[in-house]
Amino acid sequence: MAEPVIRVEGLKWKYEGSRDWVLKGVDLEIHQGEFVSIVGPNDSGKTTLAMSLNGLVPNNYPGAMQGRVVVDGMDTREHSVAEIAESVGFVFPDPESQFLSMTVEEEVVFALENRGLPREEIEERMWWALELTNIPEDYLEKPPYELSGGEKQRVAIASVLAMRPKIIVLDEPTSMLDPIGKTEVIEVLTEMKRRYNATVIVIEHRLEDIAPLADKMVLVYHGTIPKVAPPREFFQDIDFLLEHDVFPPDVMVLANELRKRGLYDGPVPMTVDEAERMVREVLGRR
Amino acid sequence: MTGVGEAVRVDHISYVYPDGTVGLKEATLTIQEGEFLAFIGQNGSGKTTLSKNISGLLKPTTGDVWVFGRNTKEAPMSELATLVGYIFQNPDHQLFNQTVYDEIAYGPRNLKLPEEEVEERVTEAMRIVGLDESYREKHPFFLSKGLRQRVAIASILAMRPKVIIVDEPTTGQDFRQSIDIMDFLTMLNREHGHTIIIITHDMPIVAKYAERTVAMADGRILLDGPTREVFAQAEVLARANIKPPQITRLAQRLGDLGVPPSVLSIEEMANLIESAVRGGG
Repeated sequence: MAEPVIRVEGLKWKYEGSRDWVLKGVDLEIHQGEFVSIVGPNDSGKTTLAMSLNGLVPNNYPGAMQGRVVVDGMDTREHSVAEIAESVGFVFPDPESQFLSMTVEEEVVFALENRGLPREEIEERMWWALELTNIPEDYLEKPPYELSGGEKQRVAIASVLAMRPKIIVLDEPTSMLDPIGKTEVIEVLTEMKRRYNATVIVIEHRLEDIAPLADKMVLVYHGTIPKVAPPREFFQDIDFLLEHDVFPPDVMVLANELRKRGLYDGPVPMTVDEAERMVREVLGRR
Repeated sequence: MTGVGEAVRVDHISYVYPDGTVGLKEATLTIQEGEFLAFIGQNGSGKTTLSKNISGLLKPTTGDVWVFGRNTKEAPMSELATLVGYIFQNPDHQLFNQTVYDEIAYGPRNLKLPEEEVEERVTEAMRIVGLDESYREKHPFFLSKGLRQRVAIASILAMRPKVIIVDEPTTGQDFRQSIDIMDFLTMLNREHGHTIIIITHDMPIVAKYAERTVAMADGRILLDGPTREVFAQAEVLARANIKPPQITRLAQRLGDLGVPPSVLSIEEMANLIESAVRGGG
């Protein structure tokens, strides 16, 4: 198999002033083009892990680090955040925290202009990013703060996409949004998966929406990574996940319950469609 | 439900914000003491406006709200605050004192209660929300979000309001934290007799905890009834952009097999399937 685009080896991290390691020696390999979903309870180290992938940890936070993180060939301790940002785009939970400009257009092209790209290429990338995130042309002149939550987050994603990074990390991109906004962002993630061969790493609690998209699920729990697997395998052991404070979607828990009652022994359904087929199959045996 | 009387009566109220936005149109509902309700609907559907009218934070433009027989337009805020407490989604929007103790004592002190009783109420509120005594002198700002939320709830509880409205109790919380906070509200409801209203987008939480659900769209009450019956109205909910829990959506695709559209829990669904398989032999 090709060299992974991200390699985390024995990573330990402790913020200055905290007593315990936030990450307690974790290993993780991610390959180019993989869609990776990081799950786990709050305060277990997910965001710290995400920030170690774009070099914010250790470069912008005081603390102690052991082990190493290599991203697109760069050891994060030997390269600046700016250098790593050429390869890794980052989307925060709160889109407003990252807006710098007075209009949507300026926001999306800001970093491209900073890089000194030719005007044509800037235009081309902007239209591509707007199309992928489903932002209509007449939004270009709007100030970002006038948009709905979901629209703001889509603009934030578009401005990261326009950089065409090899790797995009999204830290709980839907957590601050209402259901319509969440759905909009999940649709953008689906489009990214379908049409953009980037490595996408997303921290997300909404397993119902994210599991069907993921190639690989990563469980982070109290500073460790107790499980990494493709979704169907990851969700095989429902009881293990519940013990680790991860609550799988209803249809998966139902499959587990039917297994325990000796009514079903097939694969775990990922979607309501699959669950419908499962129930029809079980009832078909009558 | 141990209803002993009417807690809230909302009588044909409309609410127009100062900028002209119509927040509520002709809303009517009655809430009995001891109920556990959820208000659901998209942002802008009117659920927060309705809640703020119930708490007296807003006064209806037309119509009346009665809380334990008191008209919110006439009763002083200090009295309303002892009847209905409103817990904001972001605890930081309501925390402003230097210590946890002062924060929780703020309301009771405003009621001009003797300091002895203030102390007693703070101690009780901290005990109920599970805040250790050692937090008394801590600055709320330095606590975790979960703990800050507990301080916010304790500061409302110290007013001993009969009705407690909680705006988005589970937003930003993980699975375990959500269960903890909802179990806590259930305890307040069952053991202390508080009427609880949650405002939420979290449909699995509604299915698990709320006995009654009020679905809103466009400033109007669209559906109001037992949660099971409300979630069974898939088409009405779809028009309001409300998605029932995944297990309910699954049930609603299996109507031809005799599965009712009102299934609320995994357990219930598994039981239905099991009895169909075993009983159907």
